[in-house]
Amino acid sequence: MEQLTDEILMAKVANGNLDVLKILFERHHKHVFNFLHKMCGDRMLSEDITQEVFYKLMKYRASYNNGKFVSWMFTIARNSLNTHFRRVSNKTEDIETIDFKIAIQEEEKQDYSDLHLAINKLDASDRELVILNRFQEIKYDELAEMVGSTPGAVKTKVSRALKKLKTIYFQNS
Amino acid sequence: MEKNHVIELLPEYLDNLLNETQKKKVEAHLKDCKSCSQELDDLKILFEAFDEEKVNTPSDEVRTNFFEQIELEKQNNTKVVSLDSAFVQRKNNWTNNLLKIAASIVLLIGAYFFGQQQQEQISGKEIAQLADETQAFKQTAMLSLMGNKSASKRIQGVNFIEEFSEPDEAIVSALADRMLNDENTNVRRTAVEVLSEFTTSETVKNSFIKALKTEKDPGIQITIIQVLGKMQEKKAAASMQYLLEQDDTQPYVKEELESVLPNII
Repeated sequence: MEQLTDEILMAKVANGNLDVLKILFERHHKHVFNFLHKMCGDRMLSEDITQEVFYKLMKYRASYNNGKFVSWMFTIARNSLNTHFRRVSNKTEDIETIDFKIAIQEEEKQDYSDLHLAINKLDASDRELVILNRFQEIKYDELAEMVGSTPGAVKTKVSRALKKLKTIYFQNS
Repeated sequence: MEKNHVIELLPEYLDNLLNETQKKKVEAHLKDCKSCSQELDDLKILFEAFDEEKVNTPSDEVRTNFFEQIELEKQNNTKVVSLDSAFVQRKNNWTNNLLKIAASIVLLIGAYFFGQQQQEQISGKEIAQLADETQAFKQTAMLSLMGNKSASKRIQGVNFIEEFSEPDEAIVSALADRMLNDENTNVRRTAVEVLSEFTTSETVKNSFIKALKTEKDPGIQITIIQVLGKMQEKKAAASMQYLLEQDDTQPYVKEELESVLPNII
């Protein structure tokens, strides 16, 4: 059981074997949490949403279409974060401008790595691509599927985002 | 421009995702281009920072809560299962159930046929009543139309008789009256045509014979002669003979009479 792929395990969950979700949780909850934490910088919120993501994996297990499990999981994570920030944002604020992050106060900065602080300065879509690609090792074609783009376009976007990040990173350090 | 291309390829170069051709191209370019080499060195440092970034671990609460949710979800599922097992138990009494089902079916069918019969009786009565009402209505309408001052209304009334399968005596008499006495030729002709459908009636036959003497319109005379000829009505012979002897009878009417008379007698 421990050696089976995510996709086979999720298929078992979809068939009603809910205990298998525990294996998937052990494998991936840290990835989901770290993605969310890098995205929003809020530990408590990231924990809440991590739990929500796995709850949704269970609740919507029947709709799992045997695609790449990690892509599905991160798609749910993105959407959950998105929904959260849309809910808390001021109604008059344009949804497109929501940045999905909390403002990191000056005195809190020692809690974050230089890299995290630099990533935090990227805009939301660049930040998301960099985190998913560099930390979660999501391939370009899967990324493209998740964000609704083409692998070529995503590759270029990641490359440019990394260039921006590099500039910010070396300015700060 | 060449430089920019290489910069875009550098992340993939470091990830070892480039094919051999691209890889050689990048390496060749890097030898000559100082700024691209610098880019590569910076990117390496950045990637090392990514690698060194410590993975944060969420609190155990997340796991505890989620595993509780799994148990809850399982309970929701077992509720369905327990219902299933109750159903299995009941299945053991299948003969009992079968009898119950059979009895219900018999009851259902019985009730259906009883209801249907009742319905048929009621609707049969209703239809008869409705038919009576319609007949009465048509009769009234027809009689009132035939009394109308307008000739076309009277024709309409006369034509109404086609709606009746068995017109009663009052209607036939009214029609015969139109045929004999209406001042309008067209009304009289229509009455003749309609009445020719009911030649089994004695009233109709007698009216035709009577009309033979009174009718002055040659067209109508010929129609009546033809109808009576088809009927082979012997009683009509005298009237036909009478018409034949009249001086004012049109020659072609006389011809018609001469052709029909021998068949009747």
